[in-house]
Amino acid sequence: MRVSPPVRLGLVMTAIGIVWGIVLPRLGRFPVIVRHVAAMESREVNPAAMYYTELDRLPVRSAWIEDRLILWP
Amino acid sequence: MAGAGWKSSGRWHGLHEDTVATIIGLAVLALALALTWIARPADDPGSRATWPKGWPTPLAKTIDKPQTWSESLDAAFHDRKGNSIALPIVLGGGWVVAVAAAGAVLGGRSVGRMLPGSVVLVLLAGLAYLLASQKVIHFYNLEYPLWALMIGILIGNVVGVPAWLGQSLAGEFFIKTGLVIFGAEVLFGRLLELGVPGLLTSWVVTPIVLVVTFWCGVHLLKIPSKSLCMVISADMSVCGVSAAIATGAACRAKKEELSLAIGLSLVFTVLMMVAMPPLIDWIGLDPIVGGAWLGGTIDATGAVVAAGESLGKEAGEVAATVKMIQNSMIGIIAFTVAVYWSGWVDRSTGPREGSLVAEAWKRFPRFILGFLTASLVCSWLFSLSPAHALWIDGTTTGFTSRLRGWLFCTGFVCMGLQTNFRELAPVVASGRPLLLYVGGQCLNLVLTLAMASLTFGWLFKKVVEP
Repeated sequence: MRVSPPVRLGLVMTAIGIVWGIVLPRLGRFPVIVRHVAAMESREVNPAAMYYTELDRLPVRSAWIEDRLILWP
Repeated sequence: MAGAGWKSSGRWHGLHEDTVATIIGLAVLALALALTWIARPADDPGSRATWPKGWPTPLAKTIDKPQTWSESLDAAFHDRKGNSIALPIVLGGGWVVAVAAAGAVLGGRSVGRMLPGSVVLVLLAGLAYLLASQKVIHFYNLEYPLWALMIGILIGNVVGVPAWLGQSLAGEFFIKTGLVIFGAEVLFGRLLELGVPGLLTSWVVTPIVLVVTFWCGVHLLKIPSKSLCMVISADMSVCGVSAAIATGAACRAKKEELSLAIGLSLVFTVLMMVAMPPLIDWIGLDPIVGGAWLGGTIDATGAVVAAGESLGKEAGEVAATVKMIQNSMIGIIAFTVAVYWSGWVDRSTGPREGSLVAEAWKRFPRFILGFLTASLVCSWLFSLSPAHALWIDGTTTGFTSRLRGWLFCTGFVCMGLQTNFRELAPVVASGRPLLLYVGGQCLNLVLTLAMASLTFGWLFKKVVEP
């Protein structure tokens, strides 16, 4: 049976709606995922950053690093 | 890999695609720098403590993307303080349409015919951002390129691409323009952030892994496409998706090759982000060495920070800084790949016409010069004073990184719509790209651990008296 393109598109959009609207929110209630998300949120980490400029805090060298490492011998 | 709406030479009736991307990218960057400078703060303009992400730029209000959401989509359109960001999200898409229209004008094409398709592409990019910002997806680092490609592939294969939309498919143009703007974020001064140990870890290990992996792909695994080997090697050894985009454009990789490399990178990034911190805990590595190991091996920046922070604040900071140093190598690597490709690889595929240099120049992807120009100018400005550094940081974090994200996302939708995996099917089925990625990553893990232990754990470690 050949399904017309609009129907196929509708089926795909429905599948996306089910996954993002029902499956993922339920998955997000699993304790291990809840802990991971809470840990990331509390530390203001953006794990989806592609590049350092997208991070919530720019990586800047802290003073403690110079106490622990010889940066320029 | 010319789009359907582009002539095969990459030239429309007007300027060349690379020239158009360079002009628009540099013009947008100049506008952003100028407006941020005009609106510079009067108080403490050189204080990093006051302006941790740089000077606020007025353009930040004109662009944003959906925020994380879980149960209700409404959360995607509100910032952390609860303010609506629906307008900046719509305007963000508007910037992409404006870039497409400017590209059409400079390229000598009809803006009217490009516009409807461009609007639809931007809507699809917005949908990709929305899918990527779902909480579980977001916090497990499945970035927007994956969803943009998936949406494009699904639509392209399920309903096909109508002719009116095909005229607007300029994925390469969006990505090249995004890369020129991206140059502002590639700052050479960042390379020195962790001194000699940081330089040794990034500048010795990364190029070795890149070259060895590429060589193994071409000569040992005998993968037919050199550009596929290069894109996989770069995204695995440098910094994931952003490195894949830059080197893919420099070596003219096919859309299918870039999609495959990005897919591999995203899957292994998630696995490494979850698996490496417990492993580091288990073997009892010093947090600084562990952080440097994470920063040098996990592909994506966000995943590096997530993994590092789960080991503690110190490891998180070192991991993020090592990754930032690697990030800053993109410009040099993309330029080197472009020179190597135009001078040696492409040369071997056709008869030589004229001198070697002239021929290489003819094939050289010119937009790389725009990317380098942006990088060099912004690196120079960044180095002038702390206030200038905050000027650049504010412009990039508040505006250009967001616009570049929208352009890449739209570019990936276009690539997905045009992707034909049947071309790659035999190579994928052979398992060789996967083997190349895994083999290269193993080498990366071993060499980075050795170098991080040597530099951060021994040679440059200060002896602290008890």
